[in-house]
Amino acid sequence: MEVALQHILISKATKRPYRKIPDLPENSRYDEEKGYWIIDGSPLVHTKQFADGMVSKKCDQETGEDQKGE
Amino acid sequence: MKTEVLILSSLYDFSTDLVCLRLQEASIPFLRLNKEKLKEYRISLDPLKPELTVKTGKKTYVIDNTLNAVWFRQPVFLRNTPEKALSPEEQLERSQWTAFIRSLSLFKAANWMNFPQNTYLAESKPYQLAMAKQSGFHVPQTIATNDAYQIKQFFPNDVVLKSLDTVLIHENDNCLFTYTDIGESNAVNDDNVSGTPLLAQKVLSNKKDIRITVIGNKLFAVEILANSEGIEGDWRVIPKNELDYIDIDLDQDTAKSCFKLTKTLGLNFAAIDLIVNPDGIYFIEVNPTGEWGWLTTKDRAIDYEIASWLSSSRKLSAREAS
Repeated sequence: MEVALQHILISKATKRPYRKIPDLPENSRYDEEKGYWIIDGSPLVHTKQFADGMVSKKCDQETGEDQKGE
Repeated sequence: MKTEVLILSSLYDFSTDLVCLRLQEASIPFLRLNKEKLKEYRISLDPLKPELTVKTGKKTYVIDNTLNAVWFRQPVFLRNTPEKALSPEEQLERSQWTAFIRSLSLFKAANWMNFPQNTYLAESKPYQLAMAKQSGFHVPQTIATNDAYQIKQFFPNDVVLKSLDTVLIHENDNCLFTYTDIGESNAVNDDNVSGTPLLAQKVLSNKKDIRITVIGNKLFAVEILANSEGIEGDWRVIPKNELDYIDIDLDQDTAKSCFKLTKTLGLNFAAIDLIVNPDGIYFIEVNPTGEWGWLTTKDRAIDYEIASWLSSSRKLSAREAS
């Protein structure tokens, strides 16, 4: 049986494990009223572990440019 | 509680955290609504007043025509095909909450970054290429096609291939993502192209990538290098720790074209990708929802500029001035 070739955009695509929720540091929580994530009383985005890339600013999900996926 | 700035975002959008912190520092009353948590709130919209009431449990927020700005960090249409069948409840939530968020466009008197209708149109790559040319940019020869013969005719040697829109495909437990690919046009044929149109574009060699972040009437220009040199192909495949982001002074004509393009597209925020090579500066694409969190620093305070724009006077709005 003849197998149709994959579209070139799919055959050249990068495949990565899908994660709907990024890995977050333990003890971090979202503060509804403040509108940002907190860890040990401080904003998560101001911590060294965030700056060092433990949590990327793109939440470790490459979607080209963010806010396109739902 | 009156709200001056409404932020429509998602729970894991950490760039939004940076702007919320800036707004908090400036004592600007704002409300961040995350799409994942919408059903945990109790939300009512009176379209005729208009008035939006949001009960978050501890507080009740009221949004009316005194709203100063809306920061829209949401997709403007559904791109993802779910990897598994959704339940009727999930399907209903997905379509109806998206429609609800879109309905907030009725707060037209506020400053929008960006207005969803404008984002929708600006995300069409062929459309933005045409508008960029009109705005004074050099634009590489491009065709949108599913015709392999045309690709080979236009580009007999190497060709840039990229998707017409962001590709978000789930396959079992994986997701597929496409980067810009450079290869010989001989690699394309009817079997691997005809099923779906794509963009084929002229290769620009010896290039350096430039990212422009436009916020209202301000812009940040950064050159993206690896080991102090330009990157052949898509810089996003290079490990982040090998990349350098160097601030540059943009020439007046290019800056003027950037602002002309954002005005034409009705965007108050835009991430514009340019390429400079020995032949000049070329427009590659504009992203109305482009990410910037990876670029912001103490001296390149994009978060501060966005917060300032959102809290600034309505009279300063690019949309109202146009």
